[in-house]
Amino acid sequence: MSAPANPVSIELKDIVQEYPTKDGSGVLRVVDGISLTLSPGINMLLGPSGCGKSTILHMMGGVRPIGVATPTSGTVLIDGVPCTEAHDDAVMVFQRYANRPDLTVEENVAFPFRLKHWRARIDAAEARRRLDETLAAVGLSGHRKHLPSQLSGGQNQRVALARALVLRPRILLMDEPFGALDAQTRAEMQQLLVQIYEQNPCLVVFVTHDVTEALTLGDRVVVLSTQPAKIADDFAILEPRPRSVTWQRSTEAVRMEERILSQLHAASTGRASLRVSV
Amino acid sequence: MSEPTTWNPYAPLSAQTTRTLGIGAVVAVLLLWAIVSGTGLVSPNKLPAPWQVAKAFVYLAWDGENQRSLLLNATLWSVGRVLAAGALVIAIGIPIGVLMGASPKLNATLSPLIDPFRSAPVVALLPIMVMWFGIGEWMKILFLFVGAVVYLIPMVRDAVRAVPQAYWISARDLGATPMEAVRHAVLPLAMPRIADAVIVGVSVMWTYITVAEYVNAREGLGQLIQNARRFSAMDQVFAGIIVIVAFALLSYQLMQYIKKKMYPWETKL
Repeated sequence: MSAPANPVSIELKDIVQEYPTKDGSGVLRVVDGISLTLSPGINMLLGPSGCGKSTILHMMGGVRPIGVATPTSGTVLIDGVPCTEAHDDAVMVFQRYANRPDLTVEENVAFPFRLKHWRARIDAAEARRRLDETLAAVGLSGHRKHLPSQLSGGQNQRVALARALVLRPRILLMDEPFGALDAQTRAEMQQLLVQIYEQNPCLVVFVTHDVTEALTLGDRVVVLSTQPAKIADDFAILEPRPRSVTWQRSTEAVRMEERILSQLHAASTGRASLRVSV
Repeated sequence: MSEPTTWNPYAPLSAQTTRTLGIGAVVAVLLLWAIVSGTGLVSPNKLPAPWQVAKAFVYLAWDGENQRSLLLNATLWSVGRVLAAGALVIAIGIPIGVLMGASPKLNATLSPLIDPFRSAPVVALLPIMVMWFGIGEWMKILFLFVGAVVYLIPMVRDAVRAVPQAYWISARDLGATPMEAVRHAVLPLAMPRIADAVIVGVSVMWTYITVAEYVNAREGLGQLIQNARRFSAMDQVFAGIIVIVAFALLSYQLMQYIKKKMYPWETKL
């Protein structure tokens, strides 16, 4: 199963997102006309903190912030169908794991099966089977009865990942999922993600502000500028995973890193000069 | 050089020292009380001596002449009223608070009707409640209910609203309906603070029980105190007050213990 078994696509068409400014005098444009077509593979959305990349990811998941219409204009299409609410095929994994502290690991992972929507679609035996399988895949079989407070940060993130995988999503949306972890744990989690992806290739959209993470994981890297977010760069990485340290130090990888950093730098100076002109 | 321990809010204090200081303070007050009343500095009509109070307590606990325990009878009545009102507060107050917490619209509608009573004296409502509900048992229970529920509802609402939005968003993304997201993702996390609200509610009821029982009560700790005051039996007044304080403290500790057992994960959130 090396080739993606489940063809799926996400298409963003001229996405604009504006929020009213705090003093109410005008609007702040955070996303400015993004058009992007994503296909199966690990797609990295790379940009500085607060550039609006999470907002874009939320749109793909169909999760809307309250009180504001998102997107302000433009459409998100999943398999060519406009996506306006939580989508069965797209599941998000957050940096704050959102694990329920009163439930055990297995109860947290099986959480979606408490909901009417999935109870109607997946019977108890199938749910059980998927739970066992997913716990094994993320390496939590030995922690089934533990509470989140008894787990490390990395293990908690495994629980959150498993809760998404148990639904067998064709689209996995990851919002800086490893951002709060220490370097060693982050490397382990990246490895785990690659392993899970290889076993069951799907469409992963992975938001990060970490250039190294983007180069370690991505089949494709989309670089976003900040305030408002625009696509600054978009390129593929053909090097197979797992990517060795030797490759990461190769001319190819270093060039990519320099290219990304110069794009981000150009974007930030642009912003600074804009501020002076205002 | 070690850090100073006196004006340092972060200085550790051993359980032993905590206990010694606490007991010391109580003993000091008892001693002062004994000296002031024992030497006749203050007349026993105003401040009975500790041993007089102890004697009154023994008499109230078991009146051998009439073969009865006034204290047990009064306590059972008062506890019964607090329990009845408490059940009402939980059954009505918690659902209202949760709904207000879950719906900003409902909150905007109801909070102007409820929040002012948090700072207004509920005791001032007593005459109205007597007019409406008479002077019987219902009035007393409803008075306790109103007194506690105006504290509990805003606390429950705030408990729900304090749960990070991430839990709600995550559940919604997994396909939960808004109701399911509240029930399965938000409410379970709000439970420890809702338990805190119940504890405050019950504590408030213990402060209002005396007021409720001043009006035409034939039984109860408030009535016992009121009755003793009428006969100028200050020793019994003091004994009654001490029993109420003890019960309030005991129920508070008990509820804290139950809460810790029910939500052991709370502090680790």
